[in-house]
Amino acid sequence: MSSQKKRATKVEPLKHRTDVDPKFFDKSWKKLDDAIREIYNHNASGLSFEELYRTAYNLVLHKHGMKLYDKLVEKLKGHLEEMCRSLEDAQGCLFLEELQIRWDDHNKALQMIRDILMYMDRTFITTLKKTPVFDLGLELWRDIVVRSPKIHGRLLDTLLELINRERMGDVINRGLMRNSTKMLMDLGPSVYRDDFEKPFLEVSESFYSVESQQFIECCDCGEYLEKVQKRLAEELERASQYMDAKTADKITGVVETEMLSIHMQRLILMENSGLVNMLIDDKHEDLTRMYNLFKRVPDGHSTIRSVMTSHVKETGKALVTDPERLKDPVDFIQRLLNEKDKYDKTISVSFSNDKTFQNALNSSFEYFINLNNRSPEFISLYVDDKLRKGVKGANEEDVETVLDKVMMLFRYLQEKDVFEKYYKQHLAKRLLSGKTTSDEAERSMLVKLKTECGYQFTSKLEGMFTDLKTSQDTMQSFYANISGDTDGPTISVQILTTGSWPTQPCAPCNLPPEITDISEKFRAYYLGTHNGRRLTWQTNMGNADIKATFAGRRHELNVSTYQMCVLMLFNSTDGMTYSDIEQATAIPRAELKRCLQSLACVKGKNVLRKEPMSKDISQGDTFYYNDKFTSKLVKVKIGTVVAQKETEPEKMETRQRVEEDRKPQIEAAIVRIMKSRRVLDHNSIITEVTKQLQSRFLANPVAIKKRIESLIEREFLERDKVDRKMYRYLA
Amino acid sequence: MCTPAAGRGRVRLNVGGRVFETTAATLAGAGRDSMLGAMLDAAWNQGAEGEGEGVAEYFVDRDPECFAVLLDLLRTGGLHVPPQITEGALCREALYYGLLDRVRAARWGEFEGDRLRLAASVAGRAPGDGTAVRAAPDGGCCVAHGGVVRVYNWMLEERRPVYLDHAPVNDAAYLDEATLLVAARERPGRRDGGVAAFSALTGDLHHRFRIAHDRQIRSFTPGALAFDHRCKIFASCKGRFNEYGIGVWDYNTGDQADFFYEPPGCALGDADKLQWLDGTNTLMVTTMFPRTDNSFISLLDFRDKNVAWSWSDVGTPASLEDKHVLHAIAMEDGRSVCVINQYDDLGFLDLRNNAVGVRWRSRSKLTTRKKTHNEETCYPKLAAHDGQLFASTNDTISVFSGPDHILTSTLRGSDAGAICDFSIGGDRLFALHNEENVFDVWDTPPPPVI
Repeated sequence: MSSQKKRATKVEPLKHRTDVDPKFFDKSWKKLDDAIREIYNHNASGLSFEELYRTAYNLVLHKHGMKLYDKLVEKLKGHLEEMCRSLEDAQGCLFLEELQIRWDDHNKALQMIRDILMYMDRTFITTLKKTPVFDLGLELWRDIVVRSPKIHGRLLDTLLELINRERMGDVINRGLMRNSTKMLMDLGPSVYRDDFEKPFLEVSESFYSVESQQFIECCDCGEYLEKVQKRLAEELERASQYMDAKTADKITGVVETEMLSIHMQRLILMENSGLVNMLIDDKHEDLTRMYNLFKRVPDGHSTIRSVMTSHVKETGKALVTDPERLKDPVDFIQRLLNEKDKYDKTISVSFSNDKTFQNALNSSFEYFINLNNRSPEFISLYVDDKLRKGVKGANEEDVETVLDKVMMLFRYLQEKDVFEKYYKQHLAKRLLSGKTTSDEAERSMLVKLKTECGYQFTSKLEGMFTDLKTSQDTMQSFYANISGDTDGPTISVQILTTGSWPTQPCAPCNLPPEITDISEKFRAYYLGTHNGRRLTWQTNMGNADIKATFAGRRHELNVSTYQMCVLMLFNSTDGMTYSDIEQATAIPRAELKRCLQSLACVKGKNVLRKEPMSKDISQGDTFYYNDKFTSKLVKVKIGTVVAQKETEPEKMETRQRVEEDRKPQIEAAIVRIMKSRRVLDHNSIITEVTKQLQSRFLANPVAIKKRIESLIEREFLERDKVDRKMYRYLA
Repeated sequence: MCTPAAGRGRVRLNVGGRVFETTAATLAGAGRDSMLGAMLDAAWNQGAEGEGEGVAEYFVDRDPECFAVLLDLLRTGGLHVPPQITEGALCREALYYGLLDRVRAARWGEFEGDRLRLAASVAGRAPGDGTAVRAAPDGGCCVAHGGVVRVYNWMLEERRPVYLDHAPVNDAAYLDEATLLVAARERPGRRDGGVAAFSALTGDLHHRFRIAHDRQIRSFTPGALAFDHRCKIFASCKGRFNEYGIGVWDYNTGDQADFFYEPPGCALGDADKLQWLDGTNTLMVTTMFPRTDNSFISLLDFRDKNVAWSWSDVGTPASLEDKHVLHAIAMEDGRSVCVINQYDDLGFLDLRNNAVGVRWRSRSKLTTRKKTHNEETCYPKLAAHDGQLFASTNDTISVFSGPDHILTSTLRGSDAGAICDFSIGGDRLFALHNEENVFDVWDTPPPPVI
């Protein structure tokens, strides 16, 4: 707008300078200089802000900005150096307080100085990109005061000393600490980091290194961890009280490394108090602490896990291989269950139900349960025991929990098919002897097995239940059919489907004529209603109630079918030799011996008298009706001497049968695999078969190889002509 | 933050002899970082005068007329300047009180192409022949004249100019309100051309952008400039050894990031205009008559060094009245390019189709072209802003609105000859006249109160 005029005068700077009082700057600065001094002396009330502002404005307006800035720097420097000297004289712990007071003063003064020089801040400093007045004041404070050689170290030492005293249990002035660290933070994150945080972390590191060494020498693991936890909480609290938020993570990191990481192995494996002892003694509180603390440390949990796993495996192995324990299967399984409960509780209480820990526990159990090849049998026996009697009185939920626990163990089994065999046997015994107490529980167990292993696994077991049901119906209609003919003995027949039941082929024995009579009637009836069936009597499994009179006293004897046959012989005679009995009844020798033994040799139940008197039955023995037999009970149950556990040959037999049953399963698997793959090498077949059969049993590679050979023989497969390791499926 | 006993918030100010009475709350509106805010702060009122009387009194040794305007600004948020107060005086006083930002904010009106009014006409000192005018984001501008770029702040006060040691300026661009990018021509025998960033506040050189071919720094003459929103700077470059193409630099590092060598049949190294298209991530390069015989427009994709789209009037039958495309602007939707010819006809090119011709829209009936200034005419220029299209033709700027680009306004300012360049930025439009070296400033007045 006024460009016309300006264009005329080219030498305008000179004109300005001549107009202005040569002492203009000095006079003006003097005013500001005095004011700044007064401000630092807390004597600002006499100052006129407007006048000072105007003075500074005029200086900048007349191009004295640079000079003003330099003067300001000089003035602030001078003042801070003076302040610094007086600070150095401050005694002992007053030092921090003194520093704090000075810092507050400086801040307030800076604010006012900035107010005065606001115009310079806005124009001169923005244009030339200089440091604004306030920031300049902070920078100078940092360089002249905080980092002066005499104060720098002293400040740091004082702060660290105070922290150290607090760690030792003293109470310190936290407000002062907070203000001091706040000051460092205000001076910039790098100042706080370099002048305080780094040395603080270093000092802490050595402090905790020493302390952890002391603790570990004199404390047990639990106490040590308790101390660590306390220290961690203290440090966190300290950091939140008077440090930057980011320091909290760093200092806890130092404590974790020094107190936990470095001593991890030693702590966990500590003798008499380490992890193993905590587990044994169920020290849940200690275990929780250990779990939570080592969560912070790399590899902490994996170490705990591996120690726990090896401990569980070791104790489990000791348990399952202890011959003493094998004597009582129920107790054996009960112990396993207790063990499992114990660790489950530990994991849920102390290890916050950590999945990885649960998995580790499961694999340990799987490991040692399968070390003992009688585990499947024992588990079945345990269930038998529970379903036979234990459940009486117990409510359904309890049964369910017991069964659930058993299922847990069952899951660990590799040889599930062996379990199936035993379970079938035991179930058959329970069903036929009418000893199952709860149909509900039996069914529930079946459902569990079914969900675990599929329909195939339980179909036969279910068949057993159906058989019993239809037998009941058949008997009813049979008696309805022959009604009127009520004289003579009654029989109750259970029709068992061949294959569903664990029957053994048994030579038929000669039944007493009364029984034969009614049996034949039943046979005629049954075959009359069902076409094309065959009926075989399983005389080794039945039982009978017979009435007998001994010296005028009537008793009712509950005996097995074989025993009944023997006793019925004595209706017509008083004495018989062994060979006569054998001939008359045709009972297999071993069975006969057992049954005679229980009739003649068991005290209190000796309804027969043997000559000569001895424990064992021999060929030449003679048996007499024992008219001296007495019993307080009207009903006398004469049990057969039956071992609950299997005898050695029986065991071998079961084993053999299992092996025999596995053969077709392995073959089926091989054929299934080869049908889809056509060509496969030996090792792959083994792996695939093992994988397919895993849910039932662990297939033995040698067995698989044998099956492959058998299949080659039967021309399902052939070996590759070039590569002998390859097999080819023949369609 | 005023004295506790400030008469239930009342403050008396004696400014240059005139007494103003207001409330502390009104003055606090200026902010603690202003002169008034500091003056009322407790730190400066420890021995408070006027305590007990109820009203605090302050003396300020400034002009009362301007203070009245500024106090009104603090009270109402609006700026009403009586005619006797000059803009310069008001700004000076506002700067004294630390209220300049508020004055600027009160002045700032949303740019509306159809409500523009001539706010100022600034005469420069250069002897005419300005190359370009560029609007700064904050309302200032710069004008390139020969080897100097003259920089004006939003108060239209001239700052220290950017001197290029007499190397003629080809193009200039504001990277931000404090940084000016300048492209200067290389003079024969002197390796002084190139692209450089200067401080728009002080005129100091910040950084010189170099070009290397085969790892050797080479001098070059930059033509048009452009930049994208990710700190990439583009310049069309003419090297001495036929190294023609588009140079790319990273503004943060200042280093060369890429070089797009001119493919045969493509004019890149001597472009009139570069424009970054955000939607398609391409750079539009336009080389126009009369710099070359034929006009050429192309879209470059730097990700795969590909010419994504191109158009040229080579081979167009001359019979079509010999229409030359003289300027082009990509529309804001990124779908078409608007071009203009020497008859001021607008035409459109579809960017979504390759190999299409210009769709001309005759607007000769709309233009009332007065051929009074026969001495010198300027080539027309185009600009797009907020859905509107601006075209400078001779001494007039026409504003076209709506999807059909209907002429809605014409701007004709000072009688200083044809408009050789114009630029829209911030809330203003700057038009540079050719003969008198005058630039007009157009802005939008505040909306009516009722």
